Order: sequence, then structure tokens, then C-alpha cells
Amino acid sequence: MAQPRSNAFNNIIAQFDEPWKRYAAFAVIVALLLIAPISLGPYATVILTNALLYVVLALGLNVVVGYAGLLDLGYAAFFAVGAYTVGILTHTFGLDFWLTLPFAVGAAMIAGVIIGTPTLRLRSDYLAIVTLGFGEIVRFSARNMEITGGASGISGIQQPWLFGWHINTPFEFYYVFVVLAIIAVIVSVRLQHSRLGRAWLYVRHDEDAAEAMGIDTVRVKLAAYVIGAIFGSISGAFFAVNLGAISPESFSFQQSVLILMAVILGGMGKIPGVILGAFIVVLAPELLRDLGEYRLLLFAVGLLLIMLFRPSGIWPVRGK
Amino acid sequence: MKLTTLLATTAIAMALAGPAYAEMKIGILAPTTGSEATYGQDMANAVNLAISEINAAGGVLGEQLSSVIGDDGCDPQQAVNAASKLASSDVVGVVGGYCSGATVPTLKIFGDASIPFVITGANSTKLIPANPGNAFMINSTGNDQVAKAIEYFNSVGAKSLAIVNQGDAYSQDLADLTKKDWEAAGNTVPAFEVANKGEQDYSAIVTAIRSANPDAVFWTAYYADGGLLIRQLRQAGYQGTIAVGDGSNSPELFGIAGSAAEGVIGFSNPIAEFLPGAKDFIADYTAANGSPPGPYAPLAYDGMHLLATAIEAAGSTDPAAINAALMDADYPGIAGQITFTPENTLARSNFVVLKGNGGKWGLAQ
Amino acid sequence: MSVFDIFLQQLVNGLVLGSFYALVALGYTMIYGVVKLLNFAHGDVYMVGGFVGFLVLSVVAPMVGPGWTGVAVSMVVAMIAVGFLGVVIQRVAYQPMLNAPRLSILITALAVSLVLQNGVLTLTHGQYQPMGADLGFGGVNLGLLFISYNQMILVGTAAALMIALELFVSRTQYGRAMRAISIDKDMCRLMGINVTAVIAVTFFIGSALAAAAGTMAGAYYGSVWYFMGFLIGIKAFTAAVIGGIGSIPGAMLGGLILGLLESFGTQIPGIGSEWKDVFSFAVLILVLVLKPTGLLGKSEQERM
Repeated sequence: MAQPRSNAFNNIIAQFDEPWKRYAAFAVIVALLLIAPISLGPYATVILTNALLYVVLALGLNVVVGYAGLLDLGYAAFFAVGAYTVGILTHTFGLDFWLTLPFAVGAAMIAGVIIGTPTLRLRSDYLAIVTLGFGEIVRFSARNMEITGGASGISGIQQPWLFGWHINTPFEFYYVFVVLAIIAVIVSVRLQHSRLGRAWLYVRHDEDAAEAMGIDTVRVKLAAYVIGAIFGSISGAFFAVNLGAISPESFSFQQSVLILMAVILGGMGKIPGVILGAFIVVLAPELLRDLGEYRLLLFAVGLLLIMLFRPSGIWPVRGK
Repeated sequence: MKLTTLLATTAIAMALAGPAYAEMKIGILAPTTGSEATYGQDMANAVNLAISEINAAGGVLGEQLSSVIGDDGCDPQQAVNAASKLASSDVVGVVGGYCSGATVPTLKIFGDASIPFVITGANSTKLIPANPGNAFMINSTGNDQVAKAIEYFNSVGAKSLAIVNQGDAYSQDLADLTKKDWEAAGNTVPAFEVANKGEQDYSAIVTAIRSANPDAVFWTAYYADGGLLIRQLRQAGYQGTIAVGDGSNSPELFGIAGSAAEGVIGFSNPIAEFLPGAKDFIADYTAANGSPPGPYAPLAYDGMHLLATAIEAAGSTDPAAINAALMDADYPGIAGQITFTPENTLARSNFVVLKGNGGKWGLAQ
Repeated sequence: MSVFDIFLQQLVNGLVLGSFYALVALGYTMIYGVVKLLNFAHGDVYMVGGFVGFLVLSVVAPMVGPGWTGVAVSMVVAMIAVGFLGVVIQRVAYQPMLNAPRLSILITALAVSLVLQNGVLTLTHGQYQPMGADLGFGGVNLGLLFISYNQMILVGTAAALMIALELFVSRTQYGRAMRAISIDKDMCRLMGINVTAVIAVTFFIGSALAAAAGTMAGAYYGSVWYFMGFLIGIKAFTAAVIGGIGSIPGAMLGGLILGLLESFGTQIPGIGSEWKDVFSFAVLILVLVLKPTGLLGKSEQERM
């Protein structure tokens, strides 16, 4: 692994290697997230909700890319599966939102197995194109089929009720996404330190050795796909009820790339890094908004500079 | 801590963007960047021209108007951000909306915030059921366009029609509606194709169309890919009528299609140069912006004047009162009289038939 | 048109489209061969090639006319200019990343792609630029089948460029070095091959081929715009993988196959233009499941 160059910043992030500091920082961040909407107003709340959505998505993709070391260029497909499952079941069949969540998870697992099974024997660069292909197949299918509402998608998706509370305003959705993001972080941490997490580590570093040690590499990789798919699908489910309308455009190749960028920009495999990456890909273009058409150019140049100066991401896993 | 820094930066940015004047603010929702930026800028310029006229005449309810732009980038997710930004900026009303797909998810946001929304461009029929009641469409909807198109195809004696869309909300909606009504009238659609945006090479579709040999071809999507398709159809020797929908009414169609666009038929909302009452508008717009107004400028200009008139009639900035005033509106715009149906859509069809002539649009009839 | 006419016409369409895919896929595959990088900026290099061709044509058209002569001059200038751009991109963005994790280089390539795209977007305000080439409408009619002279020139030029490349790779020092590096870079370095120079030459040639395709596409389809490289970039990547990434004949074959799949997919009832891309991707996945290294790719042990 290349040595990151800027030492002052490394010293700051190294501080958080101590567990108590990490927990303290986590608590402070959660506290800040809880009070943010009150002090920042509705527009910032919507943007932060979007950032939290990307946190969940990026943590999910991180399981596939960061933990298991598998390149996925079609992650938006799982995001779409969740969104459309909920959209179709609530809007067309009138099911309650919470009842559709198990279906969204089930559909994502099936999609994960369908995509994973034929592809996991492929080399990583071939995996890139196959996942890209699957992502596009899902998007084109959503665009062409009637049940998914064609190119217009599904609109008028009802906002959910929870024990008599109608989750409806942007503020309420913001807190829903705060909870989702916290759950995603906890699950990610637990996964990393589980048996499966260690198996991923072996597979990532040396697949042949892992195989020799008795790890069923195909099953382990498939598990990464399926878990990543569930993260994506649940994000999609809440995305659908939050926006109230979904269409194929939201699940394009560019969407997959943006999520992948969040993972790698921040530092793949490292949870704080991935979270940071997600915030950057959402907030940076928004903060640059007043620059009009120079906005995306500056974002792109910034991205390039970050990669050149911190090739392993802003907050990478520490080299061994 | 990086996160706090980011949050703090956001907070500062918010504070800077927040209300600083006691003026009345109008939101403009338009794609001012991205692939549809030409249309978006055009709409924003037209609204701002209307605002400067209103201000020069003493403002609305004695207050001066100012505008805030929400750039939707023709993308649903970005549109949600842009609409939230406008809703947070204390605007009394919003004018704009060009891409239907991007406009749909903003309806709920403006509805929840009780902000009157005059939609000046977007006209997919999918907008109608998604409207919470505070949005008013002053461009004729896809249904009116379909009626106009079928009337035209009948007038030239066409029996079979190839329909090509671009796989997006607007053009697929228009294509589906046209197919349904065309077949219901006893005609045939021997080819129904999708030309993916940005593909450049449409030769396979051209061959599929030529092998079906329809009397006419109807392109329901935007001008850029439409220009390429027209060029390739004519190069391959297709002789029948070629018609395009209102997404292709840009004069840039002629730059892309070249001489192949001669004689092409366009169904369009009224373009400034063919509107008898728009002479002053064209002159003022050109003086202010250095270029003549594009196809969606007159409607955006009308939309702003309509909103100002409604606020004046309501006598306050109370959203319910403005909504009521809009519902009862009977406003003589430069693009024609504006009154609304119970569904808040324009009560008449404003479509005209254009024909490519000498590298630009002229009136067909 | 009879079924046979339609078949032949779609065959011609597929060959023309496939020639473009193949030219762009060659760059993908050559660059992958020597540096094992999926150069996602390659589609945008094609786009920049189109714009350079557009600029040169607007200068030379008054002198030599807007016909094929003008386009040929523009194409050569665009190939040289964009070839150097490719070398610059490699030096500035990829060279410093040689020891970084491979996914980081991939994101760097995506960043380069975004810089090129948004750079041109900012310069042109997202507008289409009519190319201004006048290539005429002439062609040969064989019954209802129509092949334009332009299509013949396009396919001919693409074939000539590919033959030239094949000769370069098989007959010259640099070509041999290129093939050697794709097998074992470190060993080449030990044997005294100037690896840096060979990588530069590879980027130059790959980018120049994309520029040739970009200029010809601009002239043939009539206009250029900042986003024209996006789809063809993905398609060329697909083509390179179908053929076996890293294999030069594989890229040519993959490009032609993909072009034909799309043309015939459009015509086949039940697929049509609506589903043709799904059809192509399904074939891609099928090919990889049956032959995991692509049609002409060599199997090799993966080293991370």
C-alpha cells in the first residue's frame, strides 16, 4: 500500500485509533446529526438526508468492494430492486410499507445470488463489466416494463405510518435516515469483526491461500454480494417512500459510479472513511452550486487531486 | 473534526443564501446547467425580464420582486434538492419546470410547503395525477399535442406511422399516447422504436423503419438525437413525412440535421416570432440578453406575469388566496389567453404546426 | 424490403457501428495490456478527438473544402494532438498511481473522465457543435440495399488503421516490447526495455485511434458534443471484454460482434430497439460464463 503523504492529517485521523476516542467521536457526531435540522433549516435537512442515504449505500457497497475486494460497477441495481419492490407493492398492490420491507430484502437476496453465481469465478476486471451489464439490464428492464411504470416510473408512493405516526415531512425522514445510517454503521462494524469478516480479509489478500485454508471462497464472496444487496435494497425502499416517486433515471450507471466514488474516495474498508466519502460526494457539488456550470468541473478536478495526493483514500485502512 | 467542518460550512452557505431583503421572492425552477441548459437559461432570462418589467411598474402589492434560481439539471434527484432550496428561501411562488421527469417529484415538495407553482414548460400527462392542487400548467399537455399530431397526419392522408421515442418520461408518454389514439382511429403503427439518448448511430432503427415502410415517422423526443435521426433517415433514402414533437422545436435541430431537416414538421407550443403580441417581448429580451428568445421563453414570461397578477388579485401572499386567484385566472398572455380546467391545465390547446424551411422553422399553415 | 435485403442492410449497419466500437476498444485493450488499467476516460478521449477534429476542420475547410480531404486532414491532426493528450493524461494522472490500490487508479480514471467531460461542457455550454463537414449523399444501390460511399470510406479507414496497428505490434521493436510488457513488466525492466517509453507509446497510439474514431463520427453523424464519448466508452469496454481484454485481434472482433448484435437485435421481433442493449449485455454475460477470458483472451493467473 502506498504511503499517504500529508502527515498532519494522518496524525489527526490516527488519534481515532484509540477506542474511547472513537466512541466519543461517534457520540459527538450522532449528537450533531440529531440537532442539525433545528439549526440548519429545511434545505440543509434535505441535503443531509441525501448524504445519509449515500452513507448507507456506500457502507453496503463497502462490504462488497472494501471487505471482500470485489469490484462492482452496477450497485445501483440493488438500490433499484428495493425501490421498485416497495413502489410496486405499496402503490399497485396497496400493501403497507413495513410489510413490503421483507419482500425488498428477499428480492435483493435473489438478485444478489443471480448476479453473484455466474460472475464470482471471473477475474476482477471482468467482474467490473458484468456488474455494469447487470446494472444496465435492471435499468432498461425498469424502463421497458409496464409494471415498473416505464420511463415515468411510479409516482404517488404513500409515506409510511409507524405506530400512528405518519412519517411525512423532510424533518421526519431525516431522522429515519439517521437511524438507518446508525444501524448500517453498527452492522458494518460487527461484520468486520465477525468470522465472515475475517474470511473476507483472507479472500481479499490471497484467494488461493484462503481456499487452501478451507474457506469456501465462492460462498464467502456470495455472502458479501447478498449482504451488500440488502443494504442497497433497504436504502432503495426508504428512498422510494421519501421521494414519493421513482424512475429509472435514478438508477443509472452514473449512480453506481457515484456510490463507488464515495467508498474509494474516503478509504475503502474503513468505515469512517466511507462515511466521509459519502458526505463529500453529496455535499461538495451542493456547496459548489453557486458556481453554476463550473461546479462539476471543479468537483472533478478536486476528485482527481484527492486521488493523486491520497491514493488510498482520505481516511484509509492503516498499512500493515 | 472533518464532519463538523463540513456541517459548519453548510451552515455558512445556508446563512449566505438565506433571506436578506424584505422583497418578495419568486423561485425559478429550470435546468440552468447540464444538457438542457439552453432551455433552462432561456426560461430564467424570460422570467427575470418579466420581473424587471413588473418592478419598473411599481412591483406587486407595493413590494419589489427578486428571483432565486433552483437548478434542477433535468434530473429528478437534483430537482428535489433544487425545490427544497426554493422552499427554504421563503419564495411566494415558483415559475418554471421544463423536464417532466424532473418536475414530477417537486410537486409534493411545493405542495407540502403550500407554494403556488406555475409550470411553464413541462407538459407530460403524468404531472396531472401527481399535482396536489397548487400547480398550474400553462403549456398544453401531451393529450393536446397528440390530438394536433393526429389531425395533421390525417390531413396528409397517412395511414401507417412509425413512432420513435428516447426512453425517457416525456417522450415515452407522448409516444404511448399517440400510438393508442392512432390505433384507436383504425390506423397502424408498424414500427415503435426507442433511440437511446446519446447513441449517435441510429442506422439499425432507420433500417427497421424503412423495412416497415410507414407513411410518416413521428419523433417524440428532444432535438439533439432527433436531428441525428432525421439526418440518417434521409441519408438512407426515406421519403415519407417526418414530424417531431415539441421537445424538438429548438432551432438547433437544423444545425444538427443539416439540409435533411427541410420540410420536417414540428408540433410546438407558440414560438415567439409567430406570436402577434410578442414583438416588444422579442425586442426587450434580445436587448437584455444579446440573443433572441428560445421556444420556451414566451411561456416562462407569461407564467411570471400571470403569477404577479394572481398575487395582486389575491391581495396578499397567502398561498390559498393566490391559488384561488390562479384558478380563476383569465390572463391575456403574449402566447395566448390563459384559463384553467378543473385539473389546473391550460383550457385550450396552444399547439401550432411548424415546418422546416430554409434552415429554420416557419408556420406550416 | 425482403428479409434478405433487411439482413444485408443490418449487416452493413452493424459493420459501420462495429468499426467505431473496434477503434475505441483497441485503445482500451492496448492500455489494459501494458498497465492493467481500465481506462474509463477513454470514451472522453474519443470525444476530445471529435472536438479537435471539429476545430481543425473549421480552419482547413475554407482551404481544402469540407469533404473527405478536409476530414482526413482534421483526423490526422486530431490523432497527433490527442495522442499527446493521452501521454499527458498517463503522466499526470496514472504514473503517480502505479503503486496505489487498483481500485484507486480506476477512480482516478473516472475522475479524468469527469474532468474532460465537464471541461468541454464548460467551454461549449453543453451545446451541440455542427461539424460542418459536407460528405455528400452518394452511394451504391443494390436492389433495395443501399451502401453509401461514406460508409465504405469509414469501414475502409478503420480497417486500414487496424492493419497498420497489427503490423506495428507484430513487426516493430516497440510492438514486441508492448507484447512483452503485457506478459511480465518487471522482467522487461530487468532486460533493459524502456518500459516508461513503451507505456507512453501505447497511450499515444490508443488515444490517437480513439481520436480518429471521434473525428470520423463527428463528420459522419454531423455534430459533436461533450457527452458523445460516454455511451461509446461503455460499449467499447464491453466489446474489448467480449473479445478478451488485452487481446488486439479480440478488440477488433469484439467491436464487430457488438455492432452486429445491436443492429440485428433492433430488427429481431421481441427484442427490438427497446431491448437491444439488454440483449447485448446478456450475450456478454453468456460469453463470459462459457469462456471466462473472453473469445480470444488468454487465461492467466491473477495477481492482486
